[in-house]
Amino acid sequence: MCSKQMGSDDIGQWRIEYIPDKPPVPPDQQPTVDVVASPIDPKFANAIVRRLNQVAPLENLRHVKRVQKKCLEGGKAELSVVLCIVPDNGDLRGMPPDVQELISSYQLSTFTTKVCKYAALSKEEWEAQCKLWPTSYHPPTYNISGITGFSEDDSRSVFSFMKYAVELATSGNEWVVNAAVIVDPISSQVIASACDQVCHSHGSPARTSAEPRCYGQVAAISAKSDVNGRTDYDSLPQNASSNYLEQKGAVVSCLSPWSWAKKCAHQSSSSLWHPLRHAAMVAIESSAERDRQLFPGSGRSEDMVSEMDCAQYSAGSPAKRQKTEDLRFQVEIDEKRDVHSLQGPLEKPYLCTGYDIYLAWEPCVMCAMALVHQRIRRIFYAFPNASAGALGSVQRLQGEKSLNHHYAVFRVFMPQDTLRSVPIPLS
Amino acid sequence: MASSGEQQERCPAAAADSLSFMELAVQQAKLALESLEVPVGCVIVEDGKVIASGRNRTNETRNATRHAEMEAIDVILDHWHRSGLSATEVAEIFSRCILYVTCEPCIMCASALSILGIKEVYYGCANDKFGGCGSILSLHIARGFKCYGGIMASEAVSLFRDFYEQGNPNAPKPHRPRAAQASS
Ligand SMILES: [Zn+2]
Repeated sequence: MCSKQMGSDDIGQWRIEYIPDKPPVPPDQQPTVDVVASPIDPKFANAIVRRLNQVAPLENLRHVKRVQKKCLEGGKAELSVVLCIVPDNGDLRGMPPDVQELISSYQLSTFTTKVCKYAALSKEEWEAQCKLWPTSYHPPTYNISGITGFSEDDSRSVFSFMKYAVELATSGNEWVVNAAVIVDPISSQVIASACDQVCHSHGSPARTSAEPRCYGQVAAISAKSDVNGRTDYDSLPQNASSNYLEQKGAVVSCLSPWSWAKKCAHQSSSSLWHPLRHAAMVAIESSAERDRQLFPGSGRSEDMVSEMDCAQYSAGSPAKRQKTEDLRFQVEIDEKRDVHSLQGPLEKPYLCTGYDIYLAWEPCVMCAMALVHQRIRRIFYAFPNASAGALGSVQRLQGEKSLNHHYAVFRVFMPQDTLRSVPIPLS
Repeated sequence: MASSGEQQERCPAAAADSLSFMELAVQQAKLALESLEVPVGCVIVEDGKVIASGRNRTNETRNATRHAEMEAIDVILDHWHRSGLSATEVAEIFSRCILYVTCEPCIMCASALSILGIKEVYYGCANDKFGGCGSILSLHIARGFKCYGGIMASEAVSLFRDFYEQGNPNAPKPHRPRAAQASS
């Protein structure tokens, strides 16, 4: 599928992979349902299928094909049909009377077999499903949260912002840290960018938003990708050569959020360390400040009241909510999301609605939840965070249905050359 | 008012003490309400003394992460910086601190409190949608803190009710807190 592997040569090994809301199941271990099936005579196939669709429609198995065609030796085809789902108690006498009637009138010899319970989400799943019984597969379309089918332009834009985030993470004088870049994908504009400020020894006050140094680079990068349309993905800047980086330690905040006291122990008392100033938190703060500066006095408390992060409190006992798996619900959310994104860059932003964030490392729970609060649309990260990652590695916050906002999460794979130059701490 | 559930242990602190600290947290929540902010407030207590307070400022800052807990944490960290404390010293003090907050910390705040290594958290009402101390995730268990809920929960809930009632009449009304409905 072109959804995962970009075909274009000059993009090389850059690749975008969707991180689903649920842990992926190996394609050959998908849940199945037992069904009653039977070989049929091809000349009765149409009549039988028409009748079955009336008396025993496969309501919750719409992805399952009613008829399986097997090619036998000598070029002959054997057709089999799904009659119905095996009755709950497994007793075939519990099949619908109309189906039983069909069986006897066509003298069918039934057998039980397995079909996959859920529609395939990927081509790999679909291929595995068809080994059991053929199913249909509809690749998700682009307008459903952009899960697949990034156009070449979109991919280039994603790669260029990802590269920028990784450069930012490795551009400090002392340490490799996490970096966050918030982007308006409609205008390809960088809204805010930040590095970790957990152990922050810069002379500048940590409270102020965008660092001027970053800002210049930001402008350069957006201009570059806007004007030329193409950017050079192949190499990091010279200061990110592997020798240079290997001399540095990595103190990525989200990888080991609890060890701030140790990390900052050698900071002078005048330096501005802060245990919670992870890159994403700082970037959110910058974007909020930008919002206040660009749209001063546009009090949007009415939006806040209706959107209310704290809308559902109770004094009752904490109880896990019923997890809803309704796909239509998801689609509805995504349609709303698209409406937002169509409003264009001139629209006053509501928090980070419609914006994407690029992170060098998968965020920790604190950062991931902060991004839910701030209504980020999509998260792209380059490196997974096995020790404390909240978007698939340890937790999977994007799958918590009770949250009032859901973003789509992607990992961006980078070419080996680029990867080798970035030490990945294992802490 | 229902207490806050089986997952939470019974509050061991002297009842009168925790009520008076929670009273201060409620005062903070009322300040938030007066500023048209989501009415959540908190205080941080070290050795029986309030060292910081905070209330929600998400509207004013347009930063949806500026919850009461984050505000109070920044206040006290700023103070400690000025006093020239080292990170090691700060970590040691946090390990003796207790947070009183009118509503169960959300997943982000619970995670932040775990990162800081705070000792205990007392909260008012549960947070069914975002709670990080038992409602949605239980971040206080693994690398966390002792957590006790249901202290002055009815006061906390009634502030939420006031908040919705004073809100924009054009805005769709969010769901009322369940307990508030039950008790009204
Ligand atoms: Zn983090």
